[in-house]
Amino acid sequence: MKLEVNGVNREVRSEPLTPLLDVLREELDVTSPKAGCHAGGCGACTVMVDGKPRRSCLIPVAAVDGASITTVEGLGTPKDPSAVQQSFIHHYAAQCGFCTPGMVVAATAYIDGGGSDDKDEIAKAISGHVCRCTGYTKILDAIAAATKQTEFDITIIAPDPTTVTIGGSE
Amino acid sequence: MAKHRGKGISAIEYPTGMNQNGDPSQAWIKVKPDGRVDVFSGTADIGNGAKTIQSQIVAEAIGVPYDWVTFDNSNTDSSPVCTGTFASRATFVGGNAVLKAAKEVKLKLLEAAGKEMEISPEDLEINDGEVSVKGSPSEKMGVDEVAGAAAYGHGVLITGTGAQLKPYSEITNSATGEVDSPPHSAISYAACAVEVEVDDETGEVLVLEMTQCYDVGRAINPALVEGQIQGGAMMGLGLGVLENSYPYYPSVDHRGAQYNSYMIPSPLDMPKVKTIIIENPSADGPYGAKGIGEMANNSQPPAIASAVQDAVGIWVTEIPITPEAVLKALEAKNAGDDSVRRDGKLVSFDEELSVNTVASGLSWSA
Repeated sequence: MKLEVNGVNREVRSEPLTPLLDVLREELDVTSPKAGCHAGGCGACTVMVDGKPRRSCLIPVAAVDGASITTVEGLGTPKDPSAVQQSFIHHYAAQCGFCTPGMVVAATAYIDGGGSDDKDEIAKAISGHVCRCTGYTKILDAIAAATKQTEFDITIIAPDPTTVTIGGSE
Repeated sequence: MAKHRGKGISAIEYPTGMNQNGDPSQAWIKVKPDGRVDVFSGTADIGNGAKTIQSQIVAEAIGVPYDWVTFDNSNTDSSPVCTGTFASRATFVGGNAVLKAAKEVKLKLLEAAGKEMEISPEDLEINDGEVSVKGSPSEKMGVDEVAGAAAYGHGVLITGTGAQLKPYSEITNSATGEVDSPPHSAISYAACAVEVEVDDETGEVLVLEMTQCYDVGRAINPALVEGQIQGGAMMGLGLGVLENSYPYYPSVDHRGAQYNSYMIPSPLDMPKVKTIIIENPSADGPYGAKGIGEMANNSQPPAIASAVQDAVGIWVTEIPITPEAVLKALEAKNAGDDSVRRDGKLVSFDEELSVNTVASGLSWSA
């Protein structure tokens, strides 16, 4: 079997019913998709299959033979991150980082599909992804900012406008 | 049958680190000949931001830019011991350890700079990677030059160590666990206010709005502490109304068989969350910081329980407040049974005593 992974053609030797997630992680050493529940419940394994977000833990690799797979490694690099990746960094949208690759893929698909900066819409779009750390607030902020890719200024760290700080001294 | 709205508040206090036993954190720092700073600390960063926070503390204490600092907690062989990332202690206990190490490094840098500049180290200060003469900022040299001179000219390694340890407290009463010194470690305070909607037909509790107010001592990194509080909102919501691994504890009946049956809040479950950060510096934390990691998810369940009482007049005394628990309590109330209310325990906390304990040096080895 063959897969195009992040623009590179790869030969796959795993058994045909091996989940795509395990092929990526164990055979091809692409470790950004995470094995959270291995049952389609958490979203951490989400990758793009021919441009659409899919749970890689639920897909036998034979079912996507010849497909183009994109993970966060294929969206940007540390030196040249995508708008969504930049936005996640600058809005502190990751804590432990386990859900982040799936969130970034889902957010990219949402924006590619013309999604708006409406937080309720974004929450719906990522509702199949769970995050144990952030309370989702900063993830929603990051995705909302990334919808405005061209206007997005990474030098501005936008604090939550509803947060109030009281006290403090130098 | 109708939906009822109610409001509730809670107030909590929480210590940092372990109150009885010694739980050490240790750190050592070395400065490379180019002035870059390597911090070796055992504090694991589980997403709480310990690496960022401790690097910030080191950069601030020495007087070098943040990006000059490399934080290495990669393994337990090369790093000094740290009991761990738990008990809200990474910023407070671990932070104090790196702060002490950084202060020692600063003294050694000033000493080396004094030698180079032929001036007493007391007359020098370090800001933003430069050592300069107090009151005469144009007389200066870079920390990188000082570090180079120390390595290649003076033959000195600029290094510092730091350790933080609350001494062991003897148990004086084995029945109650009472110890021989007052429990104290940077107590912080928090409050939470929520508005809920309770459906008296289905028993479902929907949290509509949540405002959380946390005394963090000092927000060393405001965005990170805000993230912890926002995350706590979600965890507290889960504890309050959703999450239950053993619904009939101690029986294991109906224990969730798989990941999907342990319900944590999804993005769509989140109420409107507002955060208030209070900076009420502690006497002994690094730059006045306190630890709020654990308490960040403690204030929400009692506020939700109180709001449910406000909405439908029942006290649910166990969490999570599931539809089943609400319906049972409503049934009991309608049958005239008002015994479900458990009497609260009155706990008084004397802040003056707490602060004086710290000031006297009784609790901390300094």
